[in-house]
Amino acid sequence: MGIYILKRVGAAILTMLLIITITFFLMNAIPGSPFLTEKSTPQMIELANQKYGLDKPLIIQLKNYIVSYLKGDLGTSLKMQEGTSVNDILFHQGKFQLSIKLGVAALVLAIAVGIPLGCIAAYRRGTWIDGLLRVVTTVGVAIPTFVLATTLLILLAVKLGWLSTISGSLEDAKSYVMPVISLSFYYMCYIAKLMRTSMLDAINQDYIRTARAKGVKTKWIVLKHALRNSLIPVITYLGPVTAGIITGSFVVESTFAIPGLGKYFVQSVLNRDYPIIMATTAVLSAMVIGMNLVVDIAYKIVDPRISLSAKED
Amino acid sequence: MKDKLKSFSPFQVDAGKIMDMYGLSDEDFTAAADSEKESMVEMHKSISFWQDAWRRFKENTVSMVALVVFIVIVLFAFLGPVLIPYDYSSQYRSAQNLAPMQYSENEQLTMLATSGADAYYSTAVQSGSLTAIRKGSHYINWKGATYAFSNDKGIENAILMLDTDAENPLYYVKLDDIAEDGTYSEITVVEYTSEAAEGADELELSTKIFPHVFGTDSAGRDLMARTMFGARVSIIIGTMAALIVLVIGSIYGSISGLAGGRVDFIMMRIVELIYSIPEVLIVLLLQVVLKDPLQEWFDSGTSAFSQAMSDLGTGIVSIMITFALLYWVTMARIIRGQVLQLKKQEYITAATALGASNGRIIRKHLLPNCVGPLVITTCLQIPSAIFLESFLSFLGLGVSAPMASLGSLCSDALASITLYPYRLLFPAVVLTLIVLTLNLVGDGLRDALDPRLKK
Repeated sequence: MGIYILKRVGAAILTMLLIITITFFLMNAIPGSPFLTEKSTPQMIELANQKYGLDKPLIIQLKNYIVSYLKGDLGTSLKMQEGTSVNDILFHQGKFQLSIKLGVAALVLAIAVGIPLGCIAAYRRGTWIDGLLRVVTTVGVAIPTFVLATTLLILLAVKLGWLSTISGSLEDAKSYVMPVISLSFYYMCYIAKLMRTSMLDAINQDYIRTARAKGVKTKWIVLKHALRNSLIPVITYLGPVTAGIITGSFVVESTFAIPGLGKYFVQSVLNRDYPIIMATTAVLSAMVIGMNLVVDIAYKIVDPRISLSAKED
Repeated sequence: MKDKLKSFSPFQVDAGKIMDMYGLSDEDFTAAADSEKESMVEMHKSISFWQDAWRRFKENTVSMVALVVFIVIVLFAFLGPVLIPYDYSSQYRSAQNLAPMQYSENEQLTMLATSGADAYYSTAVQSGSLTAIRKGSHYINWKGATYAFSNDKGIENAILMLDTDAENPLYYVKLDDIAEDGTYSEITVVEYTSEAAEGADELELSTKIFPHVFGTDSAGRDLMARTMFGARVSIIIGTMAALIVLVIGSIYGSISGLAGGRVDFIMMRIVELIYSIPEVLIVLLLQVVLKDPLQEWFDSGTSAFSQAMSDLGTGIVSIMITFALLYWVTMARIIRGQVLQLKKQEYITAATALGASNGRIIRKHLLPNCVGPLVITTCLQIPSAIFLESFLSFLGLGVSAPMASLGSLCSDALASITLYPYRLLFPAVVLTLIVLTLNLVGDGLRDALDPRLKK
C-alpha cells in the first residue's frame, strides 16, 4: 500500500514537472516579446528583459521558476498588473478562492444530483421516469457548456429578470445559481448515465438476490448493498470531472463575468504575461493532478477486489 | 423393377407388395436431381461482418433515427450552400440585423417593383450585384434571345429589368425611384444588341428572391449560409481530428501491445503522463504559439499540402496538431488492451511461425480484428473534437473571421444576445444536434459491432 501511494505521488510530481516544462517552452515559443508595444524601443525591451531575468538562458529561467515554486513563490507579474506578486494576484485578490468555490459547488451538485438520478433510473428501469431521464442525460452530454450558460443567462436573467446577468464575486447565494448549474450539468448527466449502468450491473448480482430473499427492504438493498459497489466507476470518473470543471470554468467565468482563475488564465495567455501563465498552469494542473491522485488511491481503498500490488491491465 | 426384385431370391421380401402397400411407384426411387437435393440442405447465406453489424444496427431505432438526422445535417452543411443564393462571407447591403425569414429592404422593394416584369437583375439580389459589374460588355440570355449591353451608364443601386412584353424590353429603375407600393416614377431604357461582344460577361437572371431564413448579423451576412459553413467546418475538424487520433493511436497501441515487456512498460508510462496532463491548458497555449509559425509556413509554402492547409486557416490546423499531440492516448490504450488479448490467439502464433514480420502481423492480423473498437472510438472522437473546437472558438482562439465555425457563431451571437437571441439559437441547435446524433450513432455502433459490450 505504502509503496503504491509512493509510486503514485512520484508519478504525479513527474507529471507536474513535465507540465511546467512544456508550458515554459511553449510560452517562450510565442513569437515576440511581452514588452513589445507601439512605444517601446529596443533598449527599453532589453532593460525590461534584464529586470525580469528574461535575458538568461532558457534552461536557467526554467530552473529559477521551479526553485521559486518549491519555495512557494509564484513570481511577479510582467504586464497585466506589473510588479505585483503573482501570489497576491491569485490568492489575495480572491481569484483562486472564487474558482475553488465555483468548482467545488459544481462538483458537489453534479455528484449530489447525478448519483440519485442514476439510481432512480436504474431502479425504475423501463418506466417513464427511466425514459425521461435517459432523454435528459443524453441531451445533457451533447450541449456545450457555453450554450447552456448563455441560454440560462437569457432565460433567467434577461427575459424573466430573476437573477442578475453579472455574477461577479459570488457574494450572495443567488449569484451561484446559473454558473454552478451550467458548469455541473454535463457532469451531472454523465454521472447519472454512469451510475445507471453500474447500478444495473450491481442489481443483477447474486448477493442482491440473497438480500432480497432474506427479506431486506428494497430501500436498504439499494442504499446499503447495491450503491456501494456501483459507486466505483463514478469515483474513477471524478478525476476527469475535476479537469473538465476547470476547463468549463473558462467559459462560465467569462459568460457570467466572474473574475476567477479560468478567465485570468485565458487573458494571461493572450497578454503573454509569462509568470502568470506559468503560475496559473501550475496551480490548475496541481488541482487536476492532485484530484487524480486522490481518486487513484481512494478507489483502490474503496474496492477491496482491486489488488494494489498486482500489475494493472 | 417390381418384376426384377421378385425373381431375385425366394427368401427376398416381396418388394412389390411393400411398394403397393405404401402406394409407391418406381419413380419414387429414381435418383434425386441436383435442384431437389438443394432444397434438402439447410442453406444459410453467408453474412459478412459488416452485413451482420448493419443488420443489428438497423434494429436499433434510436441510432437509425440519429444516423438519418446526422445525414440531413451533413447535407445541410455540404449541399445547402449550393441551394441558397447567399454565401458565408458576403455582406449584403441593407440587410443588417434582420430577423429570421425576413427580406432585406432592397429585396422587398424589388419584389414589389418587379411583380409585372418577366425577369430582373437587382442589386438587392446577391448573385452578381450590378454595382459589381465591371465596365465593358455584358449579356443576358433570356427566352432564346440575347440582350447584350455595356455598363457605361453606371447602373448602380438599381434593378435591371427584362420585360419582353414591354416596348423597350431592357430597362432599369433606380431603387430611389420606386415608391413604397412598388410603382416607379421613372425608367431608363438600356440600349442593347443581339450580339454579345467577345469575352463579355454573362449575367445570370435572377427571378426569385430568397428570405434570410436564419436572419442576418450586424454586418449583413446571411446567418443560414454562415451556419451551413460553420457546420461544415465543425464536421471537417471533427472527422480530421478523429482520423489523426485513429492513425496515431492504433499504431502506437498495437506496437506497445505486441512488443510487450519493457517497451510496453515505457510506452504506457508515456501514455499515462500525457493522459494526466490537463490538456486544455496546453491546448490554449498551443493555439497562441502555433498561430504565427503556421501563418509563415502558409505564406512561404508552395506545395499542394501547405496550400490545402492554408485554406483551412491557422486555427483549424493548430486544433488538429493539438489532437495529434495529446488526444490519441485513449485510442492507444483501447487498442493495446485488444492487442494484448488477440496476440495470445493461435493464428498470431501461426503467423509468427510462418515468419511474418511484426509490421505484417499488426497490419494483417491485429488491426483488422480490432475493427470494432477502432470504429467506435473514432466515431465517439468526432463529437469530442467538435466540442473542443467550439470551446476554443468561443474563447476567441479558434477560427478567425470571416471564417465561421459553430463555436465562433455562438461566440459572435453573445455580443448582442439580449437583442437577437436567435443568432445563438441556430448554431447552438445545430452544434448540439451534431454532437447528440454522433453520440447516439456511436452507441449504436458499439452495440452492433461489439455485442459483448452491450449493457
